[in-house]
Amino acid sequence: MTRMYKGMIALPVLAAVLAGCGDSGSTSNSSQGAASGSASQGNGEKIKLSVWHNYSGDDLRAKTVRGLIEQFRKEHPEVELDSQPIPTDAYRQRIQTVAAARELPDVFMSYSGSFTDEFQKAGLIQPISELLEGNKEWADGFLPGAMDIFTYDGEVYSVPVAMSATSFLFYNKELFEKNGLSVPKTWDELLADVKAFKEKGITPIALGNQAPWVAQSTMFGVMADRLTGTDWFMNAIHGQGASFTDPIFVKALGYFKQLSDAGAFQEGANSLDNTQAEQTFIQGNAAMIMNGSWSISDWAASATQDQMDKVGVAVFPTLPDGKGKANTITGGPGGGFVLNAEAEGRKRELAMELIYKLSSADAQKAVAESNSMVMYNVDIDSSKVTPLFNEAFNLVKTLSFSPVYDLYMSAAGGEAVNNGLQDLMLGGKPETVAAQIQAAQAGTGN
Amino acid sequence: MTNAGRLKLFMISCLAPGLLVYGLFAIVPIVWSAYYGFFDWSGIGEPKYAGWDNYASVVREPLFWRALKNNIIVVGASILGQLPIALALALLLNRNTWFSRTVRSAVFMPMVMSTVVVALIWKYIYHPQIGVLNYALKLVGLESWTMPWLSDPSVNMYALSVPIIWANVGPYLIIFVSAIQNLPSEVDEAAKLDGAVGGRKLFSVTLPMMWDTIKVTVIMCIAGSLKAFDLVFVMTHGGPAHTTELLATYMYNSTFAVYRYGYGSAISTLIVLVSAALILFSQLLMNRRSSS
Amino acid sequence: MKRMSVGAHIRSLLLAVYALLTLYPLYWLFVSAFKSNQEFFRHPYALPREPVLANLTRAWELGGMGRAMANSAIVAALALALTLLLASLPAFVLSRYRFRLRGPIMAFLLLGMLIPIHSTLVPLFIMLNRIGMLDSYAALIFPYTAFELSLAIFLIAAYMSSIPKEIEEAALIDGMGYWGVLLRLMLPLSAPALATVAILAFLRYWNEFSFALVFINSKSLKTLPLSLTLFSDGFGTDYGLTMAAMAIAVLPTIVIYLFFQEQIMKGMVAGAVKG
Repeated sequence: MTRMYKGMIALPVLAAVLAGCGDSGSTSNSSQGAASGSASQGNGEKIKLSVWHNYSGDDLRAKTVRGLIEQFRKEHPEVELDSQPIPTDAYRQRIQTVAAARELPDVFMSYSGSFTDEFQKAGLIQPISELLEGNKEWADGFLPGAMDIFTYDGEVYSVPVAMSATSFLFYNKELFEKNGLSVPKTWDELLADVKAFKEKGITPIALGNQAPWVAQSTMFGVMADRLTGTDWFMNAIHGQGASFTDPIFVKALGYFKQLSDAGAFQEGANSLDNTQAEQTFIQGNAAMIMNGSWSISDWAASATQDQMDKVGVAVFPTLPDGKGKANTITGGPGGGFVLNAEAEGRKRELAMELIYKLSSADAQKAVAESNSMVMYNVDIDSSKVTPLFNEAFNLVKTLSFSPVYDLYMSAAGGEAVNNGLQDLMLGGKPETVAAQIQAAQAGTGN
Repeated sequence: MTNAGRLKLFMISCLAPGLLVYGLFAIVPIVWSAYYGFFDWSGIGEPKYAGWDNYASVVREPLFWRALKNNIIVVGASILGQLPIALALALLLNRNTWFSRTVRSAVFMPMVMSTVVVALIWKYIYHPQIGVLNYALKLVGLESWTMPWLSDPSVNMYALSVPIIWANVGPYLIIFVSAIQNLPSEVDEAAKLDGAVGGRKLFSVTLPMMWDTIKVTVIMCIAGSLKAFDLVFVMTHGGPAHTTELLATYMYNSTFAVYRYGYGSAISTLIVLVSAALILFSQLLMNRRSSS
Repeated sequence: MKRMSVGAHIRSLLLAVYALLTLYPLYWLFVSAFKSNQEFFRHPYALPREPVLANLTRAWELGGMGRAMANSAIVAALALALTLLLASLPAFVLSRYRFRLRGPIMAFLLLGMLIPIHSTLVPLFIMLNRIGMLDSYAALIFPYTAFELSLAIFLIAAYMSSIPKEIEEAALIDGMGYWGVLLRLMLPLSAPALATVAILAFLRYWNEFSFALVFINSKSLKTLPLSLTLFSDGFGTDYGLTMAAMAIAVLPTIVIYLFFQEQIMKGMVAGAVKG
């Protein structure tokens, strides 16, 4: 099933069909329950509801989401709510262990892409389509394509509570000005800038690719999309008339290799982590960095005002003979809350309400105002966020999205891209890497 | 009750509780895990019986062999690095003076800390731009030796072995120190002497008397190295491009990142088998040496 | 006092340098605990310019470290006691008697040292769930003990086998009985080995992450390692808070280490008397 772009067109049609044939009476009833939070007064027996998520830290977004959960707890005295904040680094391990034992919580945060795929395939989660049908106005507020990645066989299993816009080109205004250079708009300009900065002894692009998703998610995805276009990618991952061994994809890998060979990244980029690269950049030791919206909150927490003011934000330049759109950024829905397939009756209703609570228009606005992007059409109070976030968020609204590779590929395929890019940086051949990627993606028969 | 009967009862009541807890909470999960190795299972949903398929694909996978090769480097580094250093320190520091107590405690300290801290420090040491190692090399005029230690595939596995050795000398040191406590005091005196006399006594008296302990530490080294995970996982994630992949990181990745639970279990079982084989080999070697 | 030779001086100097190198991370941890996230990155090696004391209190509160530390102490202490008991009894039998099952038992014990811990998570979770032990101290104490037993038994047995047999034979003739020999003679004589096992086991229990992550649900039962990973959101880490939390967590282990190191040395005094 092609999830994203075909889905984008199909969504309004689909929604209309579902709304048409659904029993509108009952759906609107359940939705009123969801929206207003009116509670049926039970017979004193509390209903147990568990929610697991990775909003465990001290950052603004985590605090915001935890605040929403606490609100739900207050509004529902009849519920015994077990909220488990689990550290992000350990989240998969914990969830996958209990999933193996079939002991999943009632509601849990699920990453979009292969993570959710697995639960859906195994029948461990159930659709929440009725929530959307009953709250048309809310459902319409999501950005185009927000639900596609969570849609399986026409049913929606989750709605995003975050957006990952992964490939901003952040640049240091001062370094560009001082060296009389301009922010690159084309591939040739980029290479010229790289060369110029390198001659001055300045790292052109900071990259911390130790966790190997970084180069793929923040840079390669958007490069490849410029060249191949999104349709090609969607066909390639499903083996429909396109393959990762196609010359056009080999060429995309070649571009990345060219950038690396031109010395665009600092030495040892594969042994530095993303945080270190962010710091290299913000401290003025690199002219550019490609990174996601998360960098903005990282910097907000660790940099001085002066350093922040020097940062400009743009998109990746165009490529010669590119078949894809020029003005795109890789991104899409991040995680969303999903509902355990075993939840039924009153518990199911309450779980739906909780999911609604955590992804309602108000929730999306609150999350956005904690310097974190959302897949929802919100007007944020710009005084509440950092200027850089505001600039980036407004930029995103003018762009269209192209897919983040590892969100749409199978887990094994995504991993092959990640490791393949590292291999290219170490001197590997694009043809070999392309063949490995194709084998890994096809091997899982997604 | 007869004497033999009493002894038997005593032995059983000593052995039974420990073996029971061990069998239930350690052996059952191990066997269970090996059993999962026979299933095609993502870890989520219904497992499908797959016979020996997982094992067959593991041994056909070049990555498995690369991880095994890297692991052998770690085993070698542990046995040839950790043990001799720990033994030498134990012989030098077995007195209860203020100085040797302080040094011993210091050597142990990397062990008490979270792996994350140790990894962070060593990443700063190896940092390609602001790293202490490259800085020191430049300082002494060896600029041509500087390199990105953790990302260059020709050196990164060796570079990783250094913190692995460094962080794990502590346990072997205290094991050896406590073993030395048990030696008759004249041996203790002899070990303190410098020069040839001390050296000869070391090999003819001290080491043979500690041989059982040394054998256990070799088992520890082999078992520990083949399931080594934390430090490498934090420092390199097994990368770049799998060049520092170890068996345990490969297993973890298969199990939790690419949803091949059955395959991951098969790797685990192979780790157990490889360790057991290496340990058996090492013990045979050491038994022969001790009897010769 | 004896005069030290030049060689001995150089040796001491080298040892001191090595000690300083191994102490550096500890020093670095404590220094970093007082830095803001900004300073952590800007001056990774320097002393904090304006020490941020609030890191410690914030990490303590946000991480719920008081409760977590109490839980870790309870789990580690109980598991340690169980480990020493369940390891020393078999160790004595295995080191002293040659019997038919001795080899198989040793091989059986070896198995537990070899498996990577992550592979046992799912089976153990299912098992603990079925016997209703999940989400309790016991869910950690028994698996911890089980996986530490092999090494503990091997270490204690190796130590006991180097204690001369004559001592114990004499005691048996004196009518001490097997239990008497074991409890009143062999265990005290093995104090250094027991202390060694205690240090290693305690450290492992105190720092163990995966079991603690998966087997415990209730906030009131969570152990310390979980508090240390809270300040990282997958993209960035608040190192100021993380280092502060780690600095707090490391203190008890240092105390425990120093305490048991003394026990190892007391063994030496006993050994000297015996020798």
